Amino acid sequence: MILFFGIAVLLWGLDKSLASEQGFAEVKECLSSPLAKLVIWGLLSGLMYHLTAGIRHLIMDLGIGETLEGGRQGAKLVFIISAVLIVLMGVWIW
Amino acid sequence: MVTNVTNFSRSGLYDWMAQRVSAVVLAAYTLFLLGYLLANPGMSYAEWQGLFAQNWMRIFSLLSLVALGAHAWIGLWAVTTDYLTPMSLGKWATGVRFLVQALCGIMMFVLFVWGVQILWGI
Repeated sequence: MILFFGIAVLLWGLDKSLASEQGFAEVKECLSSPLAKLVIWGLLSGLMYHLTAGIRHLIMDLGIGETLEGGRQGAKLVFIISAVLIVLMGVWIW
Repeated sequence: MVTNVTNFSRSGLYDWMAQRVSAVVLAAYTLFLLGYLLANPGMSYAEWQGLFAQNWMRIFSLLSLVALGAHAWIGLWAVTTDYLTPMSLGKWATGVRFLVQALCGIMMFVLFVWGVQILWGI
């Protein structure tokens, strides 16, 4: 649900940043505020978790890690990988 | 009464496939955009505008927006049919669920039209 609403935020940014040079500068300015950074980080965190968990789904569709033990390990891997990605996103934003 | 006919393609198997194909498109677009932004720190307006002015980028973006519409519909359909049920909401469940799904559908349509305007308006 958050990702779904986040798309509206991102589209707003895309619209403004592409509309004019001034709009681009305004979006850049807006993204330098701590609150905006937190919002973007939150969005990217949700997206990164969704993306890793989604890739796990695709791998399991191929028949890999479908056992009970494999499922547990896969879930743990998703947590670890997405946590690393989320931290990296934070480093990138700040 | 059949109250559960709002899935994307009226076939679970086809929904399953559509969800995966759209997922791959969205993953490719996400990784491309993130990669582009990471590779071009401190990007100028001209560069950013130039990227989206190219036809392939517009097509890639529109493809992703279409994929997003299908992907979000299938995903939100799964969530609404899992949680907005008579077990959680009682006898009004079907009405509530239909309303929520309708709102999601309208929002997706709005996002899609808006996206087209952004991409072809520059």
